Amino acid sequence: MRRHVLPRIVVLLGTLVIATTAHADLSRFDIGARIYTKHLYTNDDTQGLLWLGNPFWFDQIKGGNGVGSELELTFKGRASRYVTAGARVASRFGERWQDYWESGTRMYGNTVNTSGDSVGMNRASYLKLRGTWVQVQPEWAFVDWLRVGSSDLGMFNPWTIGKLRYIDRDNGRGYFLSGHLGSQRQLTWIAAAIALPKLWVGPWWSTGLGDPELVNPFWSRDWAYATTIRWRPTEGTVLKLTADMTQDLETDLSDPDALGSTNPNCKDALGSQIPGCQSDHAVDLYTRYHSANATLQLEQELGETTRVDGTLAYSRQRIDTRLTGNGVAKNQGISPVVYKDTDAFAGTVRLAADDPWEMGLSFKAEYFNIGQDYNAIFGARREADVLLTDGFLGGGQLPTLNLANEFVDFGEAWVESCIGWHGGTGVATFENEDGDLKVDAEYTYITYNTNAQDRDVDTTYPDFLHSDGYTDIGLYDFANVYDRGRDPRSVYRRNQWRRSQIVMLRATKQLEIGRGLEIKFKGKYIRDEDYRRLDGAGAKDDDYKGNIFIARLQVAMPVTDGLKLAAGTQIDRWYETNRRGTLELGYGDDVTKRHTAFAQARYHFGGFRAGYHLEYVHKLQERQREGDQRWSVWRSKATVEVAW
Amino acid sequence: MMSFRSALVVATLLMPTLVVAGSPVKKLVFSDPAGDDFGPGSYTYPTHAVYAPGSFDLRNVEITDKGATIQFKVKLGARIKDPWNSKDWDGNGFSLQFVQIYIDTDHKAGSGFTKPLPGLGGAKFAADEAWDKLVLISPQGKTRLGQEVKYKARAMRKSVVIPRKTRARGKTLTAIVKKSDLGPIGANWGIQVVVQSNEGYPAKKDILTRRVNQVRGEHRFGGGHDTACDPHVIDILAGKAKGEKTEIAAQKRTLAYTCNKKLATLPMIYASKR
Repeated sequence: MRRHVLPRIVVLLGTLVIATTAHADLSRFDIGARIYTKHLYTNDDTQGLLWLGNPFWFDQIKGGNGVGSELELTFKGRASRYVTAGARVASRFGERWQDYWESGTRMYGNTVNTSGDSVGMNRASYLKLRGTWVQVQPEWAFVDWLRVGSSDLGMFNPWTIGKLRYIDRDNGRGYFLSGHLGSQRQLTWIAAAIALPKLWVGPWWSTGLGDPELVNPFWSRDWAYATTIRWRPTEGTVLKLTADMTQDLETDLSDPDALGSTNPNCKDALGSQIPGCQSDHAVDLYTRYHSANATLQLEQELGETTRVDGTLAYSRQRIDTRLTGNGVAKNQGISPVVYKDTDAFAGTVRLAADDPWEMGLSFKAEYFNIGQDYNAIFGARREADVLLTDGFLGGGQLPTLNLANEFVDFGEAWVESCIGWHGGTGVATFENEDGDLKVDAEYTYITYNTNAQDRDVDTTYPDFLHSDGYTDIGLYDFANVYDRGRDPRSVYRRNQWRRSQIVMLRATKQLEIGRGLEIKFKGKYIRDEDYRRLDGAGAKDDDYKGNIFIARLQVAMPVTDGLKLAAGTQIDRWYETNRRGTLELGYGDDVTKRHTAFAQARYHFGGFRAGYHLEYVHKLQERQREGDQRWSVWRSKATVEVAW
Repeated sequence: MMSFRSALVVATLLMPTLVVAGSPVKKLVFSDPAGDDFGPGSYTYPTHAVYAPGSFDLRNVEITDKGATIQFKVKLGARIKDPWNSKDWDGNGFSLQFVQIYIDTDHKAGSGFTKPLPGLGGAKFAADEAWDKLVLISPQGKTRLGQEVKYKARAMRKSVVIPRKTRARGKTLTAIVKKSDLGPIGANWGIQVVVQSNEGYPAKKDILTRRVNQVRGEHRFGGGHDTACDPHVIDILAGKAKGEKTEIAAQKRTLAYTCNKKLATLPMIYASKR
């Protein structure tokens, strides 16, 4: 008996040793958690947890006063060393601490009361499954992995299928297959079939839902198909082909088997049999909307310090107008697609020289030419950038009408559409040897392929209703109640002959004061001209000239381990001739003066991360045609985050 | 017994050597052959396309005295990119690489650390080649990097140097370090440069390094072992660090390991002995 016990103890101890030395990366099951709390304060009477909410006309999310928390759980496990799986669960963000036990806002009798006997879930922090994925690495030659489920779609590019917004990171789901050729993986590829997002890819920001032309939107078989192939023929050369197509299918309503069919009995109004009409318990489908985008990209090393990157892009869309309502005509010109079939090209070439003379001076130059009908309907919506320039808004440029600057708080970066842009950018960067000074200087000249006279913005080209004036992203509102300027998606105008110049200087200096004082300065001048109507009555009365000056200064310093403080100011002066109006109503020369002062703190301690931003904005808009407007806004945002 | 005169003669003869060995120099240069970014010979890159071939292939290291600062330039085999937008997380303009430069300033046994920074798996330094200073060239901002070191390598904290400036240009990473943090470059310094990959979501005890498993994954190196007994280093300096092909074999030898028996040894390359 004892002879059997000893080996068992040895085996047991051995198992324990192995178990303790095995590292977490291979654990069968791993769970991570995160608690995020945000507190917004604004000196107005809006209530909510988000400065800019849903672009829809109504939501219960946005508001400048509120504090709420979110719990996120991330699961990851390994079935074997070849199979990994994961999931993310997160609570709905929207419940404020003051809500206590209330779960929804719908009350009995449709009255506001304090019963707490409310229905609905928009005050409930219910946990929702955000995404699941399984990844297999079969031991097949040329195949690296197969993924089923969620992905952020970051394997493509902003011109085709873009990486999803961070808040959407698990919403993209599909089947993905990746592989390679060559012993050194000279050629790698990914092919994917991706469920088409029903809420934003297509006319009416949907794959049928909400389209007034459709009785029974059919979206469960709408897919996008994509591939990317990366070939590295030599050490200094990379060629990349990326392509995608989307297909939005809808039912043929003349089919007697379709829900809501116009011919359920295959008889006409007189009761006669319709020739060729017969029920077969199968439904015919038509393509409501189809898009295709493709890029060929080259990365070429020219030498030790110089390189050239180029992108040639193609965009196409086909609309079946029988199945697609005209969002330009019926939605006030607010539509993510031009209402017609289109084919367009775009291209960029970027040359870069990284400190060629080893004196800290680097250069970049870019030529860009983006067709007026180019549209990456499934492209990146924000958090990406395809051009070198700092642009008008400073947050990046994307070749799509489907931008998504909503669901943000004040101070976050905004993207703008670069559809139709044609021009060039030059950037010079100097960094000194000590690494304590960096200066960037930019000049950009833009003309527009969208320049045209009498463009049809009534039924074909969306103008997004607000196409005039420099955009105020700091005090923006969706309904343009306060004249916030051009919508960043507005690239078409009935009459336009526009050209723009951007000059930008940015400098960062570190001083040996305390734990290191960092001074940042950014100055920008935009000269924006649009002659609008060129001929006819009033042609000379509507010319827009914008002289936009922006200067921002910030100082920051770590004061203890993990605690960094910053303070700064921004001064804006926008001198705009004929900022907005019409020939009929007249235009006005407006001057905008804005001063912002802010203070920030960031603190990291043992897994505890906190941030605080407090700012005061004073804005005076002196308007010639309408009354002056004044803003005096205090607002702050505090965040606390712990992950384990 | 050596006479006083003989001793004087020997001392006089040795003097220049001692002075050379201990005196500061303006520049140290080390090279590494191409194509040895495979650890002990078997490691493979993760399968995600961002890990372009050559991204972790060490080619050249220059350490230059710039007066009040010391400049470290590390050249790799591929253009250094920023696929994860490091500016969004307070980073330094690149995403993938994490280079650790270990320095033995005194070449004395019992002085310094024989364990590398947590996160390099099964690897060590020889007792007489223990490191005294460590310069981290990371895409992570100073705050995150400092916090990681503070909480995961508390005992090493005072020996770890976070550069005042880290940047990427072309294929080269550059770090600027205050000379007061390191002292002047010594001709007798021993150097080891470890190329790893930046992992923003590291294992609990690892400091921002990417693990090496037996089977590679989308974001995991392959060709190693499924426990941390293998050295989680992708490329290092080996041999005399002159970039010769023979140094590939030297790297394989020095990083060879046997789980539960033999740890890989990271050699110091002493400028004075090359």
